[in-house]
Amino acid sequence: MRRGILMTSMIAVLAIALLFIPVFSPVVKAADKIGWVGPVYKELSASLTKGFKAHYKKTYGKDVDITFVRPGGWPVCLDKVRAWGGKPDADIFLGAGAPAHEVLRQEGLIVPYKPEGWQKVPADWHGMKVKDKDDYWTCFAPWIVTNLYNEKVLKKLRLPPPKTWHDLLNPIYRGNIVHTLPYASGTMHETIEILMQAFGEEEAWRYLRLLAAQLARFSTGSTDTTQLVARGEVPIGVAQPQMNAMAARKDGFPVRDLLPEKTILVPEAVALLKGAPNEATGKIFLDWLFSPDGQKYVLEGRYFAASDDVKFDAWEKEGVEMATHAKKALGANSFWELEVEFIEYDLDLATKRWDEVNKKYEYEIYRKWGELKSSLFLIEEVEGEVAAAKDQKMDVAKADGKIKEARRLFEIDGDYAAARLAASKARALLVAP
Amino acid sequence: MSRGNVILAALLWAIIAFFVLYPLSILVLESFKISGTDNWGLNNYVEFFRDTYYLKTFGNTLLLSTLLLLTTTIFGVPLAYILARYRHRGKTVFTALILLPIVLPAFAGVFAFIIFFGKYGTLNLLLMDIGIIEEPVNFIYGLHGLVFIQALHMLPFIVLGLSAGFTNIDPSFEEAAEVEGASGFRRFFTITLPLCTPSYLAGAVLVFLWPFTDWLTPLILGQVDFLPSVSYINISYHFTDVHRKYMGIVATVVSAVVCISLFLLARWWVEKRKYTGLSKGTTSEGRVVEPSPFVRLGAYVFMAFIAVLVLLIPIVLGLSAFSRRWVFEPFPTYWTLENFRLILLESPGLVKNSFLFSGIALLFGIAFGLPAAYLIVRTRVPGKDALDFVITLMLAFPGIAVGVSYLLAFWQGIPLATHWIIMPLALFARRLPYFLRMAHSSYLQLDPSLEEASEVSGAGKIRTFFSISLPLLLKGVLVGVVMFFIMAFQEISTAIFLYRGGWETLPIGIYLNWHRGMEFGIAAAMAFLMIVITFILLMIISRIGGGVLKAAWGAGEN
Repeated sequence: MRRGILMTSMIAVLAIALLFIPVFSPVVKAADKIGWVGPVYKELSASLTKGFKAHYKKTYGKDVDITFVRPGGWPVCLDKVRAWGGKPDADIFLGAGAPAHEVLRQEGLIVPYKPEGWQKVPADWHGMKVKDKDDYWTCFAPWIVTNLYNEKVLKKLRLPPPKTWHDLLNPIYRGNIVHTLPYASGTMHETIEILMQAFGEEEAWRYLRLLAAQLARFSTGSTDTTQLVARGEVPIGVAQPQMNAMAARKDGFPVRDLLPEKTILVPEAVALLKGAPNEATGKIFLDWLFSPDGQKYVLEGRYFAASDDVKFDAWEKEGVEMATHAKKALGANSFWELEVEFIEYDLDLATKRWDEVNKKYEYEIYRKWGELKSSLFLIEEVEGEVAAAKDQKMDVAKADGKIKEARRLFEIDGDYAAARLAASKARALLVAP
Repeated sequence: MSRGNVILAALLWAIIAFFVLYPLSILVLESFKISGTDNWGLNNYVEFFRDTYYLKTFGNTLLLSTLLLLTTTIFGVPLAYILARYRHRGKTVFTALILLPIVLPAFAGVFAFIIFFGKYGTLNLLLMDIGIIEEPVNFIYGLHGLVFIQALHMLPFIVLGLSAGFTNIDPSFEEAAEVEGASGFRRFFTITLPLCTPSYLAGAVLVFLWPFTDWLTPLILGQVDFLPSVSYINISYHFTDVHRKYMGIVATVVSAVVCISLFLLARWWVEKRKYTGLSKGTTSEGRVVEPSPFVRLGAYVFMAFIAVLVLLIPIVLGLSAFSRRWVFEPFPTYWTLENFRLILLESPGLVKNSFLFSGIALLFGIAFGLPAAYLIVRTRVPGKDALDFVITLMLAFPGIAVGVSYLLAFWQGIPLATHWIIMPLALFARRLPYFLRMAHSSYLQLDPSLEEASEVSGAGKIRTFFSISLPLLLKGVLVGVVMFFIMAFQEISTAIFLYRGGWETLPIGIYLNWHRGMEFGIAAAMAFLMIVITFILLMIISRIGGGVLKAAWGAGEN
């Protein structure tokens, strides 16, 4: 009996060992190679892998090995390329908006290439740049910065969907909002940049501080935000790529997107890395990506196609499954038919202060999140007390001045400790003016 | 002392030096570098202990550790007592269930509990349907959830140690106490519990150190301000901000230092005091009592409560593995095999990588562990105790530290990290103690006279090993093999730093699918697959007869 068991387990171990044998046998057929690095979502990389492999086989009669690394959101991917220091472990920077590509360009990490089909991508749209005039980067999948909400949960909580940026500060949404950190997600970075350029820097940071107090938590990336909203764990997600709502709805989640009143276009772009080990294959890929075939795989990968000759209903007839969802999500027959208005966006300014903005948010808001909340909540409490005292016709002049100072210290200076102190003083002044 | 043994010892030390000491020393060295200059100094450490954010993180981690230890102790002591002392039905089943989390990947539990206890998870929806609550209750997001999830994962370590302790105590001590008039609680707290200190401490140290190792659970729950999560973010989100990288490394080193000091402290404490009795009066079963019906009922309820919580993990993951779009429904409504089709047919690379890397790590483990066990048990080569010590220390070492140190040490200079072989090598280094402890204890049980007889009859050392020792050791070794494989199979903390495109293993796939996309069905299916594989391997272990407990904690301890 014992022996039988021993034999069985030996055989089991051997069987596991046998599994490895094919792995050790040498690969005879040498395939061409290409490497992508970038923040695009898994569905897009999977779709492009499938499409490009088929295209390569058909055109060159050979297989192509594709490796795709996604170390994180745009800032993380950008940093990865920087860390390679001119000897990249990939050929193509796939995804991320204009500022990331501009940073790469300024640091000499990408080289110009004009793919076939380049002319079908508009140079600019409603005042926003869609491709680089020196051919360093070209948009292959445009989208707009949006917010996301879960309609089922909001209905359950009896809350209306927040329409504008300032709606989000309404106390009824407190604890029901989530967003990530700008160093983890390019969309969050762009959102901060939008607020700074649309409302002015001082007002933007004031807004961000107040918004931080509304958050249920910080998510670890923009897809984490989508996931949390889709599953209803937190019903409102700030700073989301427009197509995330479409993707989530396709998967059956009750998610809708909101175009806030101030927003921008993000030209999700592609570029050839300097010193790319497989430059020739890289160029073949770029040519394919902007061909009608490539653009179809972009849409099947749940991103909007960039070519201006794309018509969703034509593709729908050809059996492109996502065309139906895209048409429904955009309410238009092509991305470029959307009626939108963007803020005036200064790309050079955004490029220049890229790292600085991320750092400021992290150090002044994220790391002091607990302190920030307790400070604001105290201020709100004392403000309530001051208002109550006013109703009782008490002399609140001094306390009123002090609590206004507290709010200023909080909102403008971001000095949470001093604001707290001022609020406490205001409370004391209320009792003994 | 033969020359062969010395050469063997030198060889093993060389391996340890290259795969453990060298990378770790690079890690420590790196933490003293000052960014932007070529200088070295204590600046990073000074900053770490002055910066309110890092200090808060450190404090949070210590707080979590303390709460975790308290919780596991409060639940673990009665549980261990029930399992060890009460005579009841279903003892084996309950023991197996309560100990199960030891071999389940920690992240599997997190995902299952988010699905079940989340704001719109099964429990909240059921409670709202019945009308007990109006708004969803926050069961898990926050410190309390973290403590709950980690406590369930670490509970076995306390129960395991204590129930062995309760069984092994010489009954005469307790009988003496009873004769002197101390009964019930007084006897338990003055005699029984203190006698179990060594076995309790062994588990307690591992429990206390867990928050210094586990970066993933806080991250998934959105509670980032803990040391390992901060190190992870600092190191893997910022590639060019060198100062941040150094601060992340400092956080890693600080965690490692805390872990090792506590580990050594506990060891020293146990060795300093004498806990053994003179007589050997225990039966194999230890002292067993027949509880009153009331107590018995309470014991069953208590055990069942913990067992149900543990069972939730495979059940919930199983439900979501076979379904899609499971949202806002207490139970899934749309059943499909799609998730498994995607894992097994569309991206079989992950499963293949997992088997390949763990398998090769296992080969390294055997090639290293068997000679090391022989050396430690059978020879008197100088430095063998130190070897044993260094290997055991790996139990306390945070996985994040191993991963980061490998990345630093094997990127430039010795560019091993550019080849996939780094993955199994790192797994081997990380899980070093698991196979060795098992081989070690089997060696202890093997009577040397058998080997001597073989050598007297003219067989050489190597022939003796293969024809006498190995067949006799086989049982213990096989258990060690399977246990090592299980532990390597579910490793993520080290692998996450080293993997490159195409090297993803199942745990990494679970992490990526969960948190970068809408694919938690796939993540759940992967986790479920891992649980099934682990379960099959566990069946093999229990068939061989080693028992999970022995394999996990090394029978040599007793």
